[in-house]
Amino acid sequence: MVFLQQLINGVMLGSTYALVAIGYSLIFGVLRLLHFAHGEVFMVGAFIGLGAVVYLHAGPLVALLCAAVGCAVLGIVIEFVAFRPIRRRNGSLLAPIVSSLGVGLLLQEVATNLFGAEQTRFPPQFEGEMIRLGGLFVTSTQLFILGTSFVLMLAVHLFVSYTKYGMAMRASAESTDVARLLGINVDTVIVLTFAFASALGGIAGVLVGFAFSAISPFMGVSMSVKGVAIMLIGGLGSIYGAMVGGLILGIVEVMTVGYLASSYRDAFSFALLIIMLLVRPQGLFSGASAAKR
Amino acid sequence: MRKRRTVVVNRNVFIVIHNNEVFAIDNVFVAAVAFLTSRDTGIGVGMRKTMIAIGLSAVAMATPAYADVQIGVLMPTSGFAAGFGLEEQGSIDLFMKSYADLGPAGKLKLVIYDTRGEPAQAISLTKKLIDSDKVTAIIGPYLSGESEAAFPVANRAATPIVTPSSAKPGIAAANRPWAFRFSSTTDKTDKALIEHWTKKQPKPIKNVVLFYDGKDAVSSSDGKTVMPAALKAANVNVLDAISFQTGDVDFSAQVTRAKALNPDGIVVTALFTEAGHLVSELRKQGMTQPIAAGVELSLDHKFIEIAGKASEGVLTAAEFNRDSPKPTVVQFVKDYEAATHHLPGNSSALMYDTLFLMRHCIMSIGVVGNSEADKAKIRDCWANMNGVEAPIAGAVTINKDGDGVRQPNFLVVRDGKFVVDP
Repeated sequence: MVFLQQLINGVMLGSTYALVAIGYSLIFGVLRLLHFAHGEVFMVGAFIGLGAVVYLHAGPLVALLCAAVGCAVLGIVIEFVAFRPIRRRNGSLLAPIVSSLGVGLLLQEVATNLFGAEQTRFPPQFEGEMIRLGGLFVTSTQLFILGTSFVLMLAVHLFVSYTKYGMAMRASAESTDVARLLGINVDTVIVLTFAFASALGGIAGVLVGFAFSAISPFMGVSMSVKGVAIMLIGGLGSIYGAMVGGLILGIVEVMTVGYLASSYRDAFSFALLIIMLLVRPQGLFSGASAAKR
Repeated sequence: MRKRRTVVVNRNVFIVIHNNEVFAIDNVFVAAVAFLTSRDTGIGVGMRKTMIAIGLSAVAMATPAYADVQIGVLMPTSGFAAGFGLEEQGSIDLFMKSYADLGPAGKLKLVIYDTRGEPAQAISLTKKLIDSDKVTAIIGPYLSGESEAAFPVANRAATPIVTPSSAKPGIAAANRPWAFRFSSTTDKTDKALIEHWTKKQPKPIKNVVLFYDGKDAVSSSDGKTVMPAALKAANVNVLDAISFQTGDVDFSAQVTRAKALNPDGIVVTALFTEAGHLVSELRKQGMTQPIAAGVELSLDHKFIEIAGKASEGVLTAAEFNRDSPKPTVVQFVKDYEAATHHLPGNSSALMYDTLFLMRHCIMSIGVVGNSEADKAKIRDCWANMNGVEAPIAGAVTINKDGDGVRQPNFLVVRDGKFVVDP
């Protein structure tokens, strides 16, 4: 029973990780770059959601929508300010990584100055009702998060598989040069990818805000590191890898804490990562891009 | 926005006038930002002010050095422990409003640096305060981990250093004769807390689960050694000691593990943020056992804000009792709230008293500058402090280890407020 409850705890934690990691994977798939400011986009999403709830008295769905739209805009701005100029000038491979780190720090500092360094939270009614199933328990908020995560994952799947823009995204992920030759406007696709991934990040931010009542300018930092780890476990650029990798990382973390000690948590998570790289360096889902599944 | 004005430039130190008090800031960037964000620096107006500022700084350079007594202050105003530092900042603003004047010794000047709650920062800033700013004494740092790192630096440099708050046992004792703390240590408060807690419960507490922060210095020493000793002394058995890390927000795994053990009570040693999330999760998973929280909680209203209803009934020990009828405390709470629009916390009270006693030392033994003799005078004043009346804590005594000795207050959360548990 205790084990089962810990498994549930792990899946709940993992589903929030998965949402952040999907954004990473989308951007990596198309652009082949690590977008280190994605964790901060996630943080901004949480604050936008909080703002919508506190000042507009929005419900949870409206808060998610506000965060999605706000973060999509932020993602586009980041692309235009931090990535496009470097691509235009054929900057070094490292340059966009450094500039994304810079954007991340900038967003963190701005958020600290605007909202203060302390943690803040959604009003208590967003914590949700307790639901008991035998000796197990979940909260309605956790189910909402799990449901939203899976709906979004499905939406991402349908989008990249069946829509024109999704297919363009996959083509660009395969090879930007060939996509360009085929008449795809790669720049538009990149902007679209940033908007889409950032919207997902923003939604994840609000959901994590609901779940843990801990919104702070620094909440994106550990998510960034975890997002990258999940991407490596799941397979670089693979959306499904990000989903499964997120769940695995969540479960590993919870089990380590539940049966060993919290001080081993990160050690085990990263040991898993190293083993993965040794045994199956291409990740769980071998797809090297958003295109492959 | 608080009223803030920035004035330039004495080689590497910038003077900021903030709420009419003077602070020195070392960082060009910070000073520039402070200047630019200053409410009354419009374009045009700003230029004029800059001109005045340069004029002022020229005057400042012309006046003889060491006319005032400079005290360094280290506290975390950014990062995860910023909440504590901001509470201290409120007290500093309030104190300097009425007590900046030192009579013949000139003015009390504070050089304040942000440690971000990091021990490494605390070390380098302590060096900086002593070597470049040439302060006479240092107040701070805040966290035990920071004090543990910074105390040896000040001790070697023969400069008095007094932390208002760090509570881990032994850190002042290891750095005699220059390190002191105003606060009491956890071994003293834990013992009193556990005695009080077990005595009050309707059902006897025979065994507990202990939760502790494995990363924060004071919580970890408290959870690993100090609290277990206090529990053992009260014949309480620890079924499991479960750790988490500063910054964690998900406590589901820890609580599920504790729930399976079905203890009579729960003891928590953690800073307010983590304690808030933990207590919230405990109640969420349906654990209704009584909870006692160590002094690290710092009587912080943020704990109640984070834990919400789950915080009801949590018992803690604190040096500061906000509801005390003592006139000086009532006045302090009133003034603090008027100035900051927040209620003062434990950290505010500790900082206010520490500042008060530092000034008392400077005034009563005639410190005039930052000579070796002046530093030694301050050291002796703290070492021999016996029953000196501080506005909030009352009579203050420092023992031979350099630690404050006081009986803590017991406070319990009722209707979203900390109230005295008689």
